[in-house]
Amino acid sequence: MEASSEKLSNITRLSKISIRTFVSQVPLLGWLLGALIAVALEHFVGTPFARALGLPKALSLFGFLIILKKPFLIPSAVAYVLLIYILPIGIVARSSASIMNKLAGKLLDFPMLFSVIIHLGLLYAVVHWWSDMSLYRNDVARFMLIAVMVTLSLNIINGYMGEFSCSHPGFLALGAYSASVFTVLLFVDDRIFGLAWLPKAIGPLFFPIALIIGGLVAAVGALAVAIPSFRTRGDYLAIISLAFMFIVKSLIENLEAVGGPRGLSSQPNWASLPVVFMCAVLAVWIINNFVRSTFGKALNAVRDNEMAADAMTVNTRRTKMTAFMFGAFWAGVAGGLYAHVVRYVNPGDFDIKKLAEVLAMVYFGGLNSVYGAIVGACGISLLGEALRPLALYKWVIIPLLLILVMIYRPTGLIAFKEFDVKKLIQPKKVSP
Amino acid sequence: MSLLQIDKMTHYFGGLRAVHNYELDIKPGQVWGLIGPNGAGKTTIFNLITGIYQPTEGKIILAGSELNGRSPHEIASMGIGRTFQNMLLWRHMTVLEHVKMARYSKLSYGLFGAFFGTPRRQKEEAESEEKAYQLLSIMGVDQFVDQIVLNLPYGAQRRVEMARALAMEPKILFLDEPTAGMNPEELVQMMKIIRNVHNDFGLAIFLIEHRMKVVMELCERIQTLVFGEVIAEGTPEEIQNNPKVIDAYLGKETVE
Amino acid sequence: MQLLQNLINALQLGSFYALIALGYSMVYSILMLFNFAHGDIFMVGAYIGFGVATGLIALSKMGALAMPNWLILMLTVIFSMFLTSFVGMFVERVGYRPLRDAPRASAAITGLMIGIILETGNLILLGAEQLSFPSLVQTATYNLGGIYITNQKIMIVALSIGLAFALHQFIRRTKWGMAMRAMAFDYVVVPLMGVPLNKIAAMTFALGSALAAAAGIFYGIAYPVLDPYMGVLFGWKAFVAAILGGRGSVVGATLAGFLLGFIEIFVPMIFPSTIRNFIAYSIVLLILVFRPHGFFGEPYSARLRL
Repeated sequence: MEASSEKLSNITRLSKISIRTFVSQVPLLGWLLGALIAVALEHFVGTPFARALGLPKALSLFGFLIILKKPFLIPSAVAYVLLIYILPIGIVARSSASIMNKLAGKLLDFPMLFSVIIHLGLLYAVVHWWSDMSLYRNDVARFMLIAVMVTLSLNIINGYMGEFSCSHPGFLALGAYSASVFTVLLFVDDRIFGLAWLPKAIGPLFFPIALIIGGLVAAVGALAVAIPSFRTRGDYLAIISLAFMFIVKSLIENLEAVGGPRGLSSQPNWASLPVVFMCAVLAVWIINNFVRSTFGKALNAVRDNEMAADAMTVNTRRTKMTAFMFGAFWAGVAGGLYAHVVRYVNPGDFDIKKLAEVLAMVYFGGLNSVYGAIVGACGISLLGEALRPLALYKWVIIPLLLILVMIYRPTGLIAFKEFDVKKLIQPKKVSP
Repeated sequence: MSLLQIDKMTHYFGGLRAVHNYELDIKPGQVWGLIGPNGAGKTTIFNLITGIYQPTEGKIILAGSELNGRSPHEIASMGIGRTFQNMLLWRHMTVLEHVKMARYSKLSYGLFGAFFGTPRRQKEEAESEEKAYQLLSIMGVDQFVDQIVLNLPYGAQRRVEMARALAMEPKILFLDEPTAGMNPEELVQMMKIIRNVHNDFGLAIFLIEHRMKVVMELCERIQTLVFGEVIAEGTPEEIQNNPKVIDAYLGKETVE
Repeated sequence: MQLLQNLINALQLGSFYALIALGYSMVYSILMLFNFAHGDIFMVGAYIGFGVATGLIALSKMGALAMPNWLILMLTVIFSMFLTSFVGMFVERVGYRPLRDAPRASAAITGLMIGIILETGNLILLGAEQLSFPSLVQTATYNLGGIYITNQKIMIVALSIGLAFALHQFIRRTKWGMAMRAMAFDYVVVPLMGVPLNKIAAMTFALGSALAAAAGIFYGIAYPVLDPYMGVLFGWKAFVAAILGGRGSVVGATLAGFLLGFIEIFVPMIFPSTIRNFIAYSIVLLILVFRPHGFFGEPYSARLRL
């Protein structure tokens, strides 16, 4: 009896070790290939396979929804996830590991950009095929990418800079409204702004400009918080930023020109998945570049000890200004994208509830970390979608989870970790 | 030609006179010491020179340019490096990041470079990293480069702070009680480091210290500050034999 | 006339803000963090008040215990304050005590999340429809030279000021109050002197929650509708008042609560009422920009303990 249990624990330990070595030997390229094949498999045989298992259609979100809605389908859902996702990914990743390691090594002989583009291409293909299955998935993917941008941009201020800023919904609103006004005014026949000024066909070319305008307006708005931050820190700045958020909201509510409390609709549908994907990648790239430079590290120095930063030649005012305006800029861009995904915004979207959501993503994922922002944004938005069938209980489960995270990892799951692209894409060392 | 010159500097905190008619004249390459009992206003003088407080009266001139009204980071980049009495380190940053941060004013790639990772940024960052490694190995703490600075032993933290101050290539180094809280062994090492820094970089040094041994051995000239006023100034021997200094430190013998 | 009439309204609104702000302020002074669930404790207090009042009225109607309305009101206030103080202590135990050494931002997040749980829990338990608070006070309107004052308003304002004063005296004169003040001075060293930090923290939460419950009942009497999200807006505004008053200052929080009530009532007299929030928050922002430590707060340069 004892011997067998010991044997069992040995087996579990062995399997744990082998899983760990297995995971550590597969380069990112291998995982992406595995995911691509799994998604392709689903794309071609997913629906008939799901029918064969007795599911109404291919699982829309890894089976979470259906498990909660119809518990008797759990075995089928598990089988589906196992056979369509986990097994193919595992098999492909494992069997291709050595080739992929060599390939990843070869790719690094070229400039790094080349390898990065190949990885991103693969990633996009995975996301594209996955979200091609249904409109619902498409929306989930786009919201998730936007959430990544928002979380990253808030992480600049709350994580890297260490100020508890509550103004982000305000920045989002500024970006969403400015970008919407730009596109609706110029390219859409609308009841508020009248006829379009320019033909709609050339509109998509101007969409980046709309987003940048959204970002810039948000960045200018951020001055209202950045300038007080020269003298004030901590709680009082938190209140100033909170007041800013309420001010933006009630300002928009009172601006009849943009629809007032009724909101602004009929934005063109230019925020398609590739556009959102590209924006998110750009945001991750630029923000990561920034936070790893000395100018970005200056945010940490100001956070950890402002007096020392000043004495070490760091221009603290410029640093604070940069942090707020840069964070707000990306929030504005994300807001512009959000407006064009939902194609309707109203001031009620940007209130305390939004604030709680964004803060939850930042603190769940981890402060001062790009990985953390990505994990937090994807985790919370997927969880939010997955728990949708539970209706109200969702708003008990997610907060409870976050409280647990805060108690056991007060700075979030993956805090204070550098996002090193090179480390991410290089081949993994195969231990003998 | 003096490096740091201060003319009749006075400072009030509210109604309280913290510093009165303070004068200083440090020539390049000199080591000066500032001693005095607790609360005499020594650190206040450092803070006044480095721009953390603005003096109520008086002029501060560093290598020909006036410091009054400038912000601390400007003054720092004009050439005053400093360490702090209670070591102001950044608790989430590594040793290397600490030293690189002090190169902030030397970097010229700007925000554009920071956002897009231009070749110029790569070059400048690599240069400042090299410089940081150099300084850390001079200080003998290069084995800690990637560690969070708060995990280091106390003496090593002091050295990192010194390396950080040197990384900004100052003309003069302000050391605020560099040996505070050290045991005799660490003390000897720190004195050696200060001497090396002085010799190798040809830096002027201005230090606040409580331990007479350190001041007497390191400094060429010493000022004694009591209640914000300099009561004596001179070479170590002069200070040692100055009755006013002895009074201030040991108390006046009152005769009934 | 209009002015004086509004003065009364502003006093009433201000007394809600003041009572809630006191809770924020006290917790802040002890633990150096804001209890972001406090607005929702106010909401819970109102609901508990509702439950107690309906229960007592039912008892009284059944004839089991015939009670006059004023007695019911008194008992409701006392019972609800007592019960809600346990909610506050529970929140402290679950959400704040484990995080005492964590960064303050993390504790803020926990508070926000507890708030969401309280709101949702209420929705799950009682459903989304608004409840109307039983009327316990026979409304009497007095005409003072053209100004109409109801006895309700007088009672609410008087009781609120009375409670704030009682709290002030408690903090000033009792042993526990002294321990609180000591803790506010330094919550690292004072516990080493034998003052039990956990007990004091729990007591602070209990006191704050009791006051919030009183505010909740008064709110229920003044505007007889309760809904699960009523704590959000009131909570945040009272929070702003606590900050304006200066962290940890009882007098400051009370006065700032009334100030906020005045701003909210008087701004619409001059400007269109839709921009009330805009003006109110702009004033807050300007005050904080020019007086960064509030009215009664001391300059304090600590940052987030990250």
